[in-house]
Amino acid sequence: MLRIYQRLWQVNWAEQWQYRANLLMYLMYWLVSPIVYLAVWTTVARTQGSVNGLTVNDFMTYYLTLLIVDNLTADITIHLLGYKIQDGTLSGELLKPVHPILTQTLVNNLAFKALTVMVLIPIWLGLCLLLRPDFGAVTLSSLLLSIPAVVLGFGINFLMGATLTCVAFWTTRVYSIGELYWAIIILFSGQFVPLDLMPSFIQRLAQFLPFQLFKYFPIQLILGRLSTPVIVHGFIMDVVWFGLALALFLTVWRAGLKRFSAVGA
Amino acid sequence: MHTLKLLATLVKLNVQQELAYRTDALIHILLNLTWLGWELLSLSILFSNTATLGGWGPGELIALLGVFRLINMLMAALIWPNTERFNSGVRDGTLDYTFLQPVNSLFLISFSRIVIWRVWDFILATILIIVGLRLSGDSATPLNVVSFLFLVASGAAIIYSLWIVMIAFTFWFTKFDNNVTILQALLEAGRYPATVYPVWLRLIVTFVVPIAVATTVPLQALRGDLQAWQVLGFLGVGAASVFVASRVWKAGVRRYSSASS
Repeated sequence: MLRIYQRLWQVNWAEQWQYRANLLMYLMYWLVSPIVYLAVWTTVARTQGSVNGLTVNDFMTYYLTLLIVDNLTADITIHLLGYKIQDGTLSGELLKPVHPILTQTLVNNLAFKALTVMVLIPIWLGLCLLLRPDFGAVTLSSLLLSIPAVVLGFGINFLMGATLTCVAFWTTRVYSIGELYWAIIILFSGQFVPLDLMPSFIQRLAQFLPFQLFKYFPIQLILGRLSTPVIVHGFIMDVVWFGLALALFLTVWRAGLKRFSAVGA
Repeated sequence: MHTLKLLATLVKLNVQQELAYRTDALIHILLNLTWLGWELLSLSILFSNTATLGGWGPGELIALLGVFRLINMLMAALIWPNTERFNSGVRDGTLDYTFLQPVNSLFLISFSRIVIWRVWDFILATILIIVGLRLSGDSATPLNVVSFLFLVASGAAIIYSLWIVMIAFTFWFTKFDNNVTILQALLEAGRYPATVYPVWLRLIVTFVVPIAVATTVPLQALRGDLQAWQVLGFLGVGAASVFVASRVWKAGVRRYSSASS
């Protein structure tokens, strides 16, 4: 099994290099929104000293960490798989004796991530030089603790994205649903603003939804801003949602395959 | 007159195409409303934590959202679908048929695909601008409103011209068909006043990819932040960019030598 992943990694990694020119364009999408919100909230914090206890530096470190974490936990399954279900090219992958989503799609996701992070890091360092944030609150233990949070966050995001893409087995097209899902993620994940500034009912809801596990939870963990009970709560949510997402994906996938009648077959 | 008739025909053609996917259009309108809800929610979160953003009040930011949505509509209704068509035309050589028509090629390239349901977006943007104007109230003199409207039009013209130049570059550098993405990626910066951005970002969205010229600048005129010479200057840039774009386009077309030859 490990050999299969190794081989798939080599293929996908080489494939990613083919599209390196497009990479810069994708990165622009990733970069612009956090930088815009960073500018907006630091402006507000600067005029009134702090916003709800958050200082200029708190906002800078939050959005700069978001840039990295967002990339690490991002999932592009809908773009990798959506069209394959639509035009039937999935059939070829189904013939292989391994689960196509948990091998090919997963590794493709990871290879894309590895390359974007490689390009992102120099840009990120440049931004740090420009903005001069103080990352003093980050400790080795907070970084180590964030590793399982990032891995589980990506795992849940990936499984949920894959489940959503499986809706294409019934509807053929999934991009509209995907956009709606994306709007929900932005709202509850802490992409726009640290969740502390959201209305309290959204905060309470977000605690029990999986979306904050993609961004807000790992970011705050890295920045050492969470108390022990909150950290424990976050990890429990991580494990519970990972289990739920895996079960949901496997069920929907199995049901979907029965419905799948490849185009042109 | 002839051009108007042609435009009407193209609209009719696109309406017919769209009617085949009625549910799709309906879903898109619902999605669009969801995004509006999200945008208003984020503004309300912002203003529940502060009274002004770099001196801009809620009314002004709602009007800015309206202008941002207008530019977004220009991208989604015309620029994207026609870029797709243009790129595939260059690749497979069907662009020849466009040039063979006895009509201005620039006109055909810009208007052959129109995503009709986006008219809805136009209405929504207009409502947002009017509501925003009402909320920001007394500061807007009639002269400010007029320069605002002219600057929106000239800002849209600048974005359009930039697009024409970008796709015309394909005639010189064939592997250059991804450049329009950069417009879309930076568009997000049009949601908020560029005056709050760090200097380097402000320079990029003003001079490199002039999103801010089409969004922030008209609002600045409305707030009375701009001198008369600045307003005239931006309008001049708008007119000049259309002129330059049409020259670049003509030069590009002269270089064009189909896909197969």
